[in-house]
Amino acid sequence: MKKKNDDQLLQEAREKVSQCDRCGTCLTVCPLFGVQDVEKVSARGKNTITRALAEGGLKPTADVLAAANFCLLCQTCVTNCPNKIKTDEAMINVRQYLMDCTGGASAKYRAVGWMMKNRGMIKFAAGMLSLLRKSGLNRLFPHGMAPEEYTRTHFLTAFAGPAALGQQTVTADVPLTATTKVAYFQGCGMKMMFPEAAAETVEILKTKTQLLVKDNVCCGIPHLAHGLREDFLSLTKENVALYEEADIIVTDCASCGGALKHAASYFTDDPEWKDRVAAFSLKVMDLTEYLVKTGYMPRRKVDATLTYHDPCHLVRGQGVKNQPRELLSATGKFIEMKEADTCCGGAGSFHMDYPDISKKIIEKKQANIEKTGASIVVTGCPGCLIQLNKAAKASGGKFKAMHISQVI
Amino acid sequence: MISDEVKKKIRAVVGKENALDSDLDRFGYSYDSSFLALLPASLPDMVVRPLTTEEVSAIMVIANEHEIPVTARGAASGRTGGSVPLKGGICLSLDRMKRIIELDERNMMVTAEAGVRTIDLYNHCAAKGLFFPPDPASWKMSTIGGNVAENAGGMRAVKYGVTGDYVMGLEVVMADGTVLTTGGKAIKNVTGYDLSSLFVGSEGTLGIVTQALFKLIPMPKKRGTIQVMFRALDDGCATINAMLQENVVPAAAEIMDKTSLDAVARLRKMDLAPDIEACVVIEIDGEDQADLDSQTKRIKAVAEKCGALSFRVAKTEAESEELWAIRRTMSSAVSALAPNRIGEDISVPRSEFPEVVRRIRKISEKHKLTIAVFGHAGDGNLHPSVLCDLKDPESAERAHHAVDDIFDAALAVGGTLSGEHGIGITKQPYIVKAIGESGVKVSKALKQAFDPKGILNPGKIW
Repeated sequence: MKKKNDDQLLQEAREKVSQCDRCGTCLTVCPLFGVQDVEKVSARGKNTITRALAEGGLKPTADVLAAANFCLLCQTCVTNCPNKIKTDEAMINVRQYLMDCTGGASAKYRAVGWMMKNRGMIKFAAGMLSLLRKSGLNRLFPHGMAPEEYTRTHFLTAFAGPAALGQQTVTADVPLTATTKVAYFQGCGMKMMFPEAAAETVEILKTKTQLLVKDNVCCGIPHLAHGLREDFLSLTKENVALYEEADIIVTDCASCGGALKHAASYFTDDPEWKDRVAAFSLKVMDLTEYLVKTGYMPRRKVDATLTYHDPCHLVRGQGVKNQPRELLSATGKFIEMKEADTCCGGAGSFHMDYPDISKKIIEKKQANIEKTGASIVVTGCPGCLIQLNKAAKASGGKFKAMHISQVI
Repeated sequence: MISDEVKKKIRAVVGKENALDSDLDRFGYSYDSSFLALLPASLPDMVVRPLTTEEVSAIMVIANEHEIPVTARGAASGRTGGSVPLKGGICLSLDRMKRIIELDERNMMVTAEAGVRTIDLYNHCAAKGLFFPPDPASWKMSTIGGNVAENAGGMRAVKYGVTGDYVMGLEVVMADGTVLTTGGKAIKNVTGYDLSSLFVGSEGTLGIVTQALFKLIPMPKKRGTIQVMFRALDDGCATINAMLQENVVPAAAEIMDKTSLDAVARLRKMDLAPDIEACVVIEIDGEDQADLDSQTKRIKAVAEKCGALSFRVAKTEAESEELWAIRRTMSSAVSALAPNRIGEDISVPRSEFPEVVRRIRKISEKHKLTIAVFGHAGDGNLHPSVLCDLKDPESAERAHHAVDDIFDAALAVGGTLSGEHGIGITKQPYIVKAIGESGVKVSKALKQAFDPKGILNPGKIW
């Protein structure tokens, strides 16, 4: 596919924000504006910056790039905007535009992008991580990138002990259609940082279907978000080709799911790939969507109080809100937390780029989790899980953070 | 331009993180929520974000000494350019001043700083059973300082009045840095001029409002929502008038014409009967369900006499929300019909509401532009929305002529330019027509007395 020219990217972004009437509704909901309340941080600020950039009112400077990068892409503004302005998409375009005209992506994003494009590197990193964890060296890792995983074994030991005994073991009750070919898409985050949770996902899926496990490549969202659009496009093509035989593609990562479901919209002007990617995007389901649809019942009831954090890319990106709650309510005692769908401040690599801001955001989340009195906070995204692990640690053991596949 | 030396003095007052002068930050504080063009931007030279009245005062002393223009700003949610720093200088952003200083339950009054968001003030009072009624559509983001400076209204004005009706006193920093306190908690007060009222609606041209003391009323115990459909807009207006004459005062009475309704129907996937030309949504409040039921019965009788096609009483909170959502999403839904929407804010005597709408219809035909009409029929304040494409010079010209004609129509029936948005920049050309040469002359004399160097929000109103 022909590379999109920069001007086209910028004009597309301008088009996306053109209906912003600057009312300021976004000021009240943006998690970043909540901790740093200057105009350029808000979605309104970003929309006007986009317009000024496209219309010659602002020059493409490092300042403007920093403002575009300072966005969680959490879509809270989009959901609350009366005109549903897609500021997140505009920011992705503006980042790409600025990367291209300021001499390309920063060395850091290029390095991460290269690693994530490379299957061998992801596996190597995964191996390194388990080594780190085993050696206890993960405590020295910056920004909680090497979380201490709280496994299902830990979880069952704690909550399925005597108090939970005597309860019936729940088994699946919906027969599978023999013809549906279900495949698993394993995200890099799950592979590198939460392999135990990923293994639980596979185990759960195997109770429902003859699972196809593929050696997939990265979904490309880190590349797309940081001005490496071409990499995103080529990774998508690789995955599309790889999953052609599957009828349904299930993922346990909110960000991968969001990227794969929306991939089609990046190929609309590519005659060769348009239809193939569209068909691919339609097959993608979040783990919880698939499980609720197939009538999955949790493997066993537990005597634990659970609360749930909505990953941005699941609740707003894919509109998946009830399914995880349904599954958790069937597993243990479920308590809704305040502002469950507010971004945790993880946002891909945002928490590494802006650790102080990210910390302020996760502190609010931690307080909301603690108020529920839940012993476990559950989520469906490895990025969020990194943040929630930090919160769990900071809470001094008041709660643990787990991926949903480890709980249900 | 502000010299480096003066910038240094300003930074010494508010701290360097609260005095911003990068190109990007200056751009961020160059606009508001009006339809004024974003570019070329009206850049302030510096964005200053004080935390206390003392800091505001110190900044004004510096600005006055060096004759630097100062434009106050809250959330920049204004619709007429009031907070746009037209002449550069200092953008005085008061959004860090967000303390609610005192809720005096015994006197039923609340004191808040300028940067408190309207909704936060409402909730703070509501928690104690007290009601702060002014509810501009922007109440989730707008700030109290801006509400006072623009004398913001809202949907409840028909029963409860506008922001100015609740102001008991103000703390204002004058152009030279003097801190003035007006009014107080005494309900009857004729000691000297009513200085508070001078600042209400003054759009930051006479002083910087840093604190406001508001009176409150007890929170109504019950609320109900009614939706009535009509074959003609006139029938809807007649119903509202008849209700008021029979002393059934709704807490809100909003009317929407067919163009507006179709716009919402398109977005919300509603089905509208083809003969519906107008919709009225009414909020009633009272002591208990029996009170609401009796009001509902009387409204129903009036509406039927005026030819209502349907009469729907919301049975649940959710249904009530659904009915109000139609009105609340109206601006955006109408905006989505065309590249640009020039939303106006004329206000007419209530009896003239149908007449001015008829005139707007003719204006729409004359200029071949769609003009959606919705607004606060209960108080005569309506928002005609001229749909156009400002990028197309020909459409833009027609739109501006249509706006001229709308203002003429409002004035012709005894109305005025603005009900709740202020004059700012966007309505300046019409001010003489509205208040006359003498009105402008007296206003200018006042301005001269308050701000001899003309540094407060220069270039606005006239």
